[in-house]
Amino acid sequence: MEHARHVFRVLFVLLVAVVVVVLGRSLLVPRSYGMYGPYRFDNVAEQASVRPPLHGGARSCGECHAERLAGLSAGAHRTVNCEVCHAPLGRHVQDGALVAPMPVDRSFELCARCHAKIEGRPAGFPQIVLAQHMDGATTGRACLECHDPHSPKL
Amino acid sequence: MPDVHADERPTPSAGAEPVSRRGFLSGAIRLGAGAYVLLAGGGTWSAENAAKYDWERHRWAYLVDTTRCIGCGSCVRACKAENDVPDGFFRTWVERYVVGQDASHVDSPNGGLEGFPPIQTAFAPTKSFFVPKLCNHCKETPCAQVCPVGASYRTKDGVVLVDGERCIGCGYCVQACPYGSRFLDPRTHTASKCTWCYHRITKGMKPACVEACPTATRQFGDLVHEDDPVRRAIERSRVSVLQQHLLTQPQTYYVGLDKEVR
Amino acid sequence: MPEISGFAFPNDIHVHWSLMIVMYPYITGFVAGSFIVTALYHLFGKEEFRPVARLAMVTSFCFMAVATLPLNLHLGHPERGIQVMVTPNFSSAMAGFGLLYTGYLVVLALEVWFVHRREIIESARRSRGAKRFLYAAMALGTYDTSPEALEIDHRAVRVLSAIGLPAACMLHGYVGFIFGGIKANPWWSTPLMPVIFLLSAAVSGIALLLILYQVTARLWRRHIEGVTVTAMARWLWFFLIITVTLELLEIIMLAYEKSESWHIISQLLTTRLEFSFISVQMIIGSLIPFILLAIVVMMNRYLHERVRNTLTMIASLLLLVQVFSMRWNVVIGGQLLSKSFRGLRSAYHPLLFDREGILVAIGLLVLPFVLLWIFDRVLPIDAGEPREAKPGAQADPPRAPASAA
Repeated sequence: MEHARHVFRVLFVLLVAVVVVVLGRSLLVPRSYGMYGPYRFDNVAEQASVRPPLHGGARSCGECHAERLAGLSAGAHRTVNCEVCHAPLGRHVQDGALVAPMPVDRSFELCARCHAKIEGRPAGFPQIVLAQHMDGATTGRACLECHDPHSPKL
Repeated sequence: MPDVHADERPTPSAGAEPVSRRGFLSGAIRLGAGAYVLLAGGGTWSAENAAKYDWERHRWAYLVDTTRCIGCGSCVRACKAENDVPDGFFRTWVERYVVGQDASHVDSPNGGLEGFPPIQTAFAPTKSFFVPKLCNHCKETPCAQVCPVGASYRTKDGVVLVDGERCIGCGYCVQACPYGSRFLDPRTHTASKCTWCYHRITKGMKPACVEACPTATRQFGDLVHEDDPVRRAIERSRVSVLQQHLLTQPQTYYVGLDKEVR
Repeated sequence: MPEISGFAFPNDIHVHWSLMIVMYPYITGFVAGSFIVTALYHLFGKEEFRPVARLAMVTSFCFMAVATLPLNLHLGHPERGIQVMVTPNFSSAMAGFGLLYTGYLVVLALEVWFVHRREIIESARRSRGAKRFLYAAMALGTYDTSPEALEIDHRAVRVLSAIGLPAACMLHGYVGFIFGGIKANPWWSTPLMPVIFLLSAAVSGIALLLILYQVTARLWRRHIEGVTVTAMARWLWFFLIITVTLELLEIIMLAYEKSESWHIISQLLTTRLEFSFISVQMIIGSLIPFILLAIVVMMNRYLHERVRNTLTMIASLLLLVQVFSMRWNVVIGGQLLSKSFRGLRSAYHPLLFDREGILVAIGLLVLPFVLLWIFDRVLPIDAGEPREAKPGAQADPPRAPASAA
């Protein structure tokens, strides 16, 4: 064993390294890691509050625009959320206070996005071939000349 | 066909407490902002605080009825706005399938963000349809399985999330997802994907895409409640999931999925 | 933006695993392959590998030192890379990296130490000042070079080799598992992947050492042992045959079973990977070395030494290219096909001056050789062997008694 002294030294160095690694690791592991699985549990709460919700849904619009919402709910667009054609609630109102006017897009491209006749749309869905639907150039606010976007059925 | 509300706009989940709409919304925004501030101060969310939202009392699921989708792309736009999704990457997208006798064509122009243009295929189509896609929040997630540091995980209420603070940006989960739901955010260099708007559903709201869908194609439900429409649809009508043979047990179910869809 | 042919999932069009992820298995392949060569002498006692055993061990060590660099260069957050060792998620093959890498590094460092211990002590005795301190520290403050101590060193090396060989195999095998375990990607998902990677690593290691052995022999003015070259060529040929058989088998199986992915994979192979797979990996990289090595192995008796050395040198250089192209085709090829199975993206071109670019990759390949040179300056690799007398010249007296080199 006299001649194995160097082996013991090596093993000692290894032991010290292992201890250092184990101690160091325990300092680096996050507090809530492993509570419910191999992840940091604190992150669940972080994700639940990562940002304030931007969309409010049509009901939130109705809080200030009740008649508009009532008109919409009676018409053919009753399933269309206001925010789809306008913008998400959070761009218009934050914390109950108005921050910017709601954008209003009156172009026919907006209507065409849902109602142009293209491959893929279910047959029963109201869609038109723009060029055949009306005479004259289909530009600008063509759809609005006849249709009220909040109650579009003629 | 599942009896889901064709003519009603999406409702909050059946288990939510009735509260005045104004109070609810401003309370939600305040809670979100407050929690944000609390988070910036580094507070810990202990299991006791979780009583405000108890993840043990929910089991979320998603239903996509492809027979109703009109390919308007409102969902893609809503998601992008709600979650600040970078350009060129998608937490959700819509695909269009144009199928003929011997050939099929699939496209997804910019994920369907601006809707779909008209299309002419070289073959005569016999059927065509849209398929919205998003993270399936699988029960047997291949993505969380391969994360080397445990940054990707599945919560008790069934949502697969990515811890942006721990993600090392190795990209292994992106490779492992069979559905192409994940991407590496070029701004944060971490993995990112659909979270079923966790910041909304924990407040009793619906994911932004469900909120935006005008045809009730996208539906979100809580499997814990017996009379939940999504649960009913899954239990009683014929539903399928994407790439079933991979046995990832997705929690996003599809109605009317065609053989052409992968 | 890449061009897509067909339809790809919108998120699927990016190649996230770049040239660095091609370099990583390439480098760890050298680590494992070199260790196999040194184990053939230290563990299996094959005398014909003795001239190359020390060189192989040190080569393995120098490549090992570089192995984490491509990974850190690739990560989105390299400063968090240590988390793989702090909170490894063991369901992930990648998490194995922490333990396997550290474990193998320790084994290899110990083995290098035991093999070189006598020279370290002698260098300590011979030097003065700072150099002496350095060597004494490396010797851990012991100066025992008695035959009993050297015998213990000998046995320690054998034990470490026995542990080191499966450790080296696992170090590279798990890399194959990283790809093989991804059921989402049909080009990667096969149980054969870890085996192919490991056998390919053996090919690259032996080929590298065939080249290094001949180059260093000329540098150190040593005779190139015909027995050694022939033995290495034989093993190289053997590993090459098995590797290519398995690489082709995977494809043949996909084609035969007409698996749903075969349509897109055959497109991948014949369009995007036509040059790198068919031309480089198979024809230039496999077929030609196969023929050259067949000549060396089968017609050994009739070959002049110079011819044998040249043929093995050419075959080895081609094989180094073959192994690189195999890594490229697996890593990059797998990302060119979309999970929709309906589309392929345009070929990936690494940039020259990028963090994950071509110059960095070349630097990563050169760095181990620089380390090798530095190692040789500190502890001459060539020290242990008695010099062979050149025909006609006077034989040098051996510098030291024949050791456990």
